[in-house]
Amino acid sequence: MRTIRTNPELHHLEQRVLHYAKEFGRDLPEMRFYILDANEFSALLEKDVYPLSPANIWEGRNIINRRFRIESGQESALYYEVVQTGNPSYAYLNDTNNAMTQASVMAHVVGHCEFSQLNVLRDMNPDRTEFVMHLVRKVNMGRSQMGERDYLAYWNAVESASPLIAPNSQFNLDVAVQTESNTGPGSEQEIEGEQSVPCRMPYSSTLDSLLNQNTSDSNELFQHEVLQKRRHETLSRKGFKLVAPCQDVLGFLSHHAPASRAERAVLDYIYTVHTPHDFVVRTQIMNEGWAMYWEKKIMLELFREESVKGIIDYSKVFSSVCYPRPYFMRNPYHLGYHMWNHVEQLYRDGKVTLDYLEETDLQKKENWKRPNVTTDPIEAMGHLVRTTTDYEFLRRFLSVDLVEEFHLNRIPRSMARQAGIKANDVVREDERWVWLNPYPIKDEMLNFFTHFHRPRIYLIDADFLEGGLLMYHRDDQRALRKEWIKPTMKNLNLIWKGPVYLLSRDTLYGYSANRFQEKSVKIPRFRRVVERMRESEKPFTL
Amino acid sequence: MGEEKISSSESEGAFNEFINEQLEEVLDHIINEGDVDMLGDSGSDIIVEMDDIQPPKFVYGDEGGPGAGGGGLGPGNDSKRIRFSLSFDRFMDLVAERLSLPNLVKEGQGRIKEVSYEFKTFGQAGVLLDKKRTFKRALRSSIGTGTYRPQDDEYEVLIRRRDRRYKLPERVEKPRYKAVVFYMGDISYSTYGERLKLEKRVVNFIHSWLNYNYGPDNVDHRFVVHDSEAYEVMAEQFYDIANAGGTRAAIAFDLVAQIAINEYDPMDTNFYGFYFGDGEIFEDDAKEIIHILEKDFRPIFNRIGVVEVKPSSISHLHKCIADVFDDDSIIRLGKLTDKGSIIDVIKVLFGS
Repeated sequence: MRTIRTNPELHHLEQRVLHYAKEFGRDLPEMRFYILDANEFSALLEKDVYPLSPANIWEGRNIINRRFRIESGQESALYYEVVQTGNPSYAYLNDTNNAMTQASVMAHVVGHCEFSQLNVLRDMNPDRTEFVMHLVRKVNMGRSQMGERDYLAYWNAVESASPLIAPNSQFNLDVAVQTESNTGPGSEQEIEGEQSVPCRMPYSSTLDSLLNQNTSDSNELFQHEVLQKRRHETLSRKGFKLVAPCQDVLGFLSHHAPASRAERAVLDYIYTVHTPHDFVVRTQIMNEGWAMYWEKKIMLELFREESVKGIIDYSKVFSSVCYPRPYFMRNPYHLGYHMWNHVEQLYRDGKVTLDYLEETDLQKKENWKRPNVTTDPIEAMGHLVRTTTDYEFLRRFLSVDLVEEFHLNRIPRSMARQAGIKANDVVREDERWVWLNPYPIKDEMLNFFTHFHRPRIYLIDADFLEGGLLMYHRDDQRALRKEWIKPTMKNLNLIWKGPVYLLSRDTLYGYSANRFQEKSVKIPRFRRVVERMRESEKPFTL
Repeated sequence: MGEEKISSSESEGAFNEFINEQLEEVLDHIINEGDVDMLGDSGSDIIVEMDDIQPPKFVYGDEGGPGAGGGGLGPGNDSKRIRFSLSFDRFMDLVAERLSLPNLVKEGQGRIKEVSYEFKTFGQAGVLLDKKRTFKRALRSSIGTGTYRPQDDEYEVLIRRRDRRYKLPERVEKPRYKAVVFYMGDISYSTYGERLKLEKRVVNFIHSWLNYNYGPDNVDHRFVVHDSEAYEVMAEQFYDIANAGGTRAAIAFDLVAQIAINEYDPMDTNFYGFYFGDGEIFEDDAKEIIHILEKDFRPIFNRIGVVEVKPSSISHLHKCIADVFDDDSIIRLGKLTDKGSIIDVIKVLFGS
């Protein structure tokens, strides 16, 4: 790994890219570019784009498998761009790429870094890479304290829980867990639908009974007092209280599972390096589209001033990256890039206005061109980045016409045959493609954001059957892989150091003291669980 | 961040240690099930395919397919297969460990040396100029003498004689061992089908094991077949020679003894001989073999293996040899009855 300053040509290109980024008014964090060889690139990818990582078998397995795939020609060693956003951001260039590709990578990275800094999910945090490297050192120290065998076992256990990270869920730690330091967001006043209790200060039973003889109100006050008392008792005993289902299960464990310092370091490390995945999955279309949008703008300037050559090659690469895929294959580069262009045009034509929306004359709408002089389209796009994620972006701007225009409903015939698509779902076809009905496609794409094709597991009780951890699988009409439930729970048991339970499809699974049990039970609906927790009741009892 | 190299070698090591146990099963499979064919190219990497491992997670049941869950603390087992390459030496290390095989005792140390030159030191005179070191010194001198002044746009770097640094060769001598291994095959019996497969697997293993111990360039592999006559053949013909009828095994042993004595220096060569046959030979033939073993083979051979392949009730070569060389450290007797016996035979042939 060497800094880009060691290569004068690339260093010059970096300066030009940053120059045009500033010319375009981009708001960027500090960006540091490094050049890696192909092997380093493979290793970096397996380390979740950090230069260091503690030893673990999964990274070893992946790198061995990847090397074999590269050597046997099943995988290309040509990775174009890898960036770890943060402030500073670290971007890595593959030394096998030519100057034009390196310039396009740097221009692309500009978009990612800015998106990470501006976005509504507040992904950008200072010194992220440095913090992870600090955690690596802590884990390495912990490793020698734990001993190799315990370390690997604990690491593997935490790895099992790594998909259970959801810092941006509506049921994240801030909302679901009340602690002594976090009493605000998780308190009952914050929970949706909670009736606020009128302030009755100073409280005097005599005065109160004289002023207000409504017994139900007194009961309510009494209940409120009881709730507060219980909450304070729980807080003082455990340091936390679950007030809503918590989807960020590993986040909860990393804060509240009993763990030695070494174990805590492993929990913190794995949680920290996996956390940005949640941001990526929620903003991938906007993020990649934003990066492609600015990459192209900057590259055109570089070609114009002849800092780089090979515009034909660049066009080929660009069009292959932005090649349209069916909606379920989600090519974020293609969809994001074209969506941003579409949005820009909407702003330029003044179509993101109340007047346009309320216009009933179709003819007028079609020919609408009323640029709003007070709104700069690029500023407006930046505002979108600051306020929306993919879900809202698609919900607002993806129309049926765009589904057709972006070929999201177009599927190769062979794929359609394999997928068993029915004839009545096909609106037209030719020798190569079939086109699906475009109307349901937007909803299908939005549905992805409810579950991200992953089981939704929530922590609903941390004191189930005397200290057990109770999790709830929210049913998506798909059962969990049965033979993996037991080993996964065994791993969670190792982290929690107490019994763990899982409610899934009318079965209660339990793992405690090396014993795995299953029991048929009637599972409450998720809504009911939320209500019970809000009322400080047990969400589920046997 | 510094200029350090990004590497996953530590994690790779952790994975290798972790899968050693699983690799044992793979090794058994490779040795038993005929995957030893891949051992043909000694020195080349071995492609290992095994069940993939995954950390068990809560995933949908219709993902992936059937597969057994892991034991809990460790990984789960996915139905997918993982493929990776193992270096030949590491593979043979694992084989030796798995089968508890000691390294072969090599003789002739010090008589033949492998000489090589390594460039580890540097001096002011020599043939191979070290450009990097030379330039560094020249740059330092030029800065000192003021010819290189970037602040004044002066970039001249003068390379003077005393700045030159040359790589100096250092003679390295390593003892070189030489070995010859004779494979003797009886082509008079029905060497086809199962018999041929079993024999091939053991021969392949011996081939790789000796190459691993001595280095592939230091081992001569020689193949002798016999029916009523004995003659040397090329490796690829060893399994393909047609049956000429009749059988006389002693002449193969005799031929090997002649080659060993006449073509190699017994003081500097390690001799190995392995005989494969069904063991159905005449009694006087067996006596003659014992005589050759005692007189010609035993004094100079490091190891002699006599392997009966799928012997019948009238096979008695082993019995005759065992009567004379029972529990012998040099002459080893193995019986290949089925796939499961391959590892046992290897252990008998090369065990301590």
